Amino acid sequence: MENIAPISWKKSSKPHLFCPGCGHGIVLKQLGYAFDEMKIARDVTFGIDIGCSLLAWNFFDADTIQTHHGRTTSVMVGYKMAKPERIALAYMGDGGGYAIGLQALLHAAYRNNPVTVILVNNENYAMTGGQSSPTTPVGMVTSTSPNGKRAEFGKGLHGPELISEIAAPNAYIARVSISNPIQLKITLKKAIENQVKNKVFSFVEVLSICPTNWKTNAKESFEILREAEKLYPIKEFTKEKEVEK
Amino acid sequence: MTEKKLLLTGNEAAVLGAIAAGAKIMFGYPITPATEILQGWIGKADKSDELQYLQTEDEIAAGFGVLGAVLAGEIAFTASAGPGHVLLQDPLSMAENLRLPFVGIMMQRGGPSTGTVNFSQQEVNLAAFGGNGDGIRLVYSASSVLEMYTLTQEAFQMAWRYRFPTILLGDGYLGKMKTVVELPADRADVKAEPILKEVSESTNIRNCYSSEADLAEVLQKNLADWNHARKSLVLSESYELDGAETVIVAHGLVASAAKDAVSILRKSGVKIGLFRPITLHPFDTEVLKKAVAKAKKVMIFESSLNQLARIVKYELADQKVNYEEVSKPAEGFTAAEIIKAVKGK
Amino acid sequence: MKTVKIILAGEGGQGIQTIAKVLSDAAFKAGFQVAYIPSFGVEQRGTPSLAYLTIGEEEIRYPRFDTADYVVVLQKRAIKVIGQFVDTNTTLIFDSSAVPQALLPKGAATLLGIPATAIANSDFIPKVFNIIVTGKLSQILKLPKELVFEAVGETLGKKFKDEKIKKANEAAFEFGCNFEAETDKFTKATFTPSEENITVKGHGKVAQIVPKRCKGCGICVEKCPVKALSFGETLGVFATPVPDIDLERCIACGNCYRFCPDAAIEVWKVS
Repeated sequence: MENIAPISWKKSSKPHLFCPGCGHGIVLKQLGYAFDEMKIARDVTFGIDIGCSLLAWNFFDADTIQTHHGRTTSVMVGYKMAKPERIALAYMGDGGGYAIGLQALLHAAYRNNPVTVILVNNENYAMTGGQSSPTTPVGMVTSTSPNGKRAEFGKGLHGPELISEIAAPNAYIARVSISNPIQLKITLKKAIENQVKNKVFSFVEVLSICPTNWKTNAKESFEILREAEKLYPIKEFTKEKEVEK
Repeated sequence: MTEKKLLLTGNEAAVLGAIAAGAKIMFGYPITPATEILQGWIGKADKSDELQYLQTEDEIAAGFGVLGAVLAGEIAFTASAGPGHVLLQDPLSMAENLRLPFVGIMMQRGGPSTGTVNFSQQEVNLAAFGGNGDGIRLVYSASSVLEMYTLTQEAFQMAWRYRFPTILLGDGYLGKMKTVVELPADRADVKAEPILKEVSESTNIRNCYSSEADLAEVLQKNLADWNHARKSLVLSESYELDGAETVIVAHGLVASAAKDAVSILRKSGVKIGLFRPITLHPFDTEVLKKAVAKAKKVMIFESSLNQLARIVKYELADQKVNYEEVSKPAEGFTAAEIIKAVKGK
Repeated sequence: MKTVKIILAGEGGQGIQTIAKVLSDAAFKAGFQVAYIPSFGVEQRGTPSLAYLTIGEEEIRYPRFDTADYVVVLQKRAIKVIGQFVDTNTTLIFDSSAVPQALLPKGAATLLGIPATAIANSDFIPKVFNIIVTGKLSQILKLPKELVFEAVGETLGKKFKDEKIKKANEAAFEFGCNFEAETDKFTKATFTPSEENITVKGHGKVAQIVPKRCKGCGICVEKCPVKALSFGETLGVFATPVPDIDLERCIACGNCYRFCPDAAIEVWKVS
């Protein structure tokens, strides 16, 4: 039993509340290892949205606060203003971050507020049973798009692309996927480090899977994820780097 | 006359009620326990050329979308719950100011905050008095799956006839429970016309006034219309009130459990009856006054902290009443629990 | 028919709601009054699944109740939620191959055991275990058999297009209807989640598997590049199989461990 679970995981809350095969577990495991390696679990305040992300409310041995749907970014911005020495993380889904909470997310990025937002994108509203979300690809069948998402919709809300347009050059913005857990951990660490060292905004979108609402087995889940990675490219959007090039 | 017997959930019944009332557009955002109204409507709209839907980015957008469609003369509505109902106070307040017909079906869930998704009666204050106004709003409370159908129609009918924002309260149990209903064949006859009329003389509507007097004039007129309409709006059910020494007051699903309790207690000789307000605002005060005149005790049962009791006590302010309040915020009552409370055990 | 109150409890995803839905549809078709409400909540998938069902001739106004005439419990973890519904008139029905009889709440009038999981696994296919229970319950409640099976077909819908699945369901249903329930000698409950961690050593590697955390998602099996993992006999927290590991094949790449969302598996090299 060397390293089976991150030390920063709260053992008493396991098995956790996420469904069998849920991508949140993979994200939160790598986030846990990031906490462990950076030795910051006790310095982190972890804000959690409503949606499946709410099931992480007691996931870590760190201070956590579950806020309202779409409001986690705002709560963590306020918290960070009052306690600049803490590491403020906001954890949410694509519904919470890109629909009801988009305004707050965009403005926190625009103001370069020193918080780190981690958005897990599973392309649907999962907690309420699989409705269409702003990232649901055209054609995907959900309970609010029973004939497939209509073709007249746009190509899906591309959060990191949108945010990087308005964010300051030193904000760290990236998209990763749970298909590469090591890259996921490295990216999460970079985003947290950017808050700690540079005291600016950072944002990571993590492409994930939802076997319960997609009604997929493990193999099929990762096939859908591969399609998602084509629609939503895995990359860093940080402008400073582009300038360097 | 009944049309057909069906096995339906309350959420499914609400969708059928809205269609029967002639609603054409639904705006909404997923929220338990009201999501099935949005899903059910979309299921119907996808097979129809007449019905439209929009899943918005939040409840505020849904509510204002309804107002836009209503201004254009369409019969539109939204459905939500708890925190979504809170966000809908913004568009509801505009509807109250401008006397726009607005129908919201709210499946109450435990609060405050995200609370629970299951059951509650804690959105009575919010529905009736939630805006930054005085609450010139019509509020219905459904107590059965059948009423999710009939009162949905009533809500559309009255909203468009009197132009008060109108809320139908259900709850999570009612939304998710499946039971046998016989839908009546008669339909609400809702007549909608554009409020922005697009005729040669332009319509200019504002909700912001420069002087106290200007706003007061509007508020006085709204209040006068409200008081005038009261009698035509109020609805209530009286059950076994003849000779009742104890009068139970309860609404929604709590009243359904209370009805079971009353029928059991009556069989064992207890002189007890039930007054069930169907409209919580305005309130059927005259009927309740008669019921309590000879009663020894009024017992108010509710799944909220005195939200119904405050309304009842205000309405019966000129009566001498011996009250007993049984409040269980965000928890349901079974008939057995009510019987126990009545017997004082 | 006097009004009967039935509570069904099991693991989420086990098909508890399917049983309740089938019985309520059939009772409706038979002309009875029905009320059915599932338990639901934000943590619905991590907690036992519960269904309240009331069937009778009189109008049913309220869907919940305090005590039940029939309490049906189909998984061990669900035992803790049924105690409150049992009184001295209750018939307690349980899957004797999955729920240890000794752990059941005391005081019920009658105990009826159906080793549905064991029978489904040995005689049919594992998935039809709830159809065996449905058959038995329809017989206990005296609901017309043909109406109940019709409702099974309507509920399972598409799956019935596969003739093999349809046949298995038909046979399982028929079996359930005719099954003589155990009343004193109960099958031993072997289909229960394992409490013990599994440690496997060999070929210079150690593997650790934690059934108490494994939810049987199969991601480790899918992500193993050398097919060293396959589902075995041991059951995890949701009573689904946990993986067996073949250390001869295993290359200790760490994929299973990195991808496991539940931190239920790890392999490391030893010298």
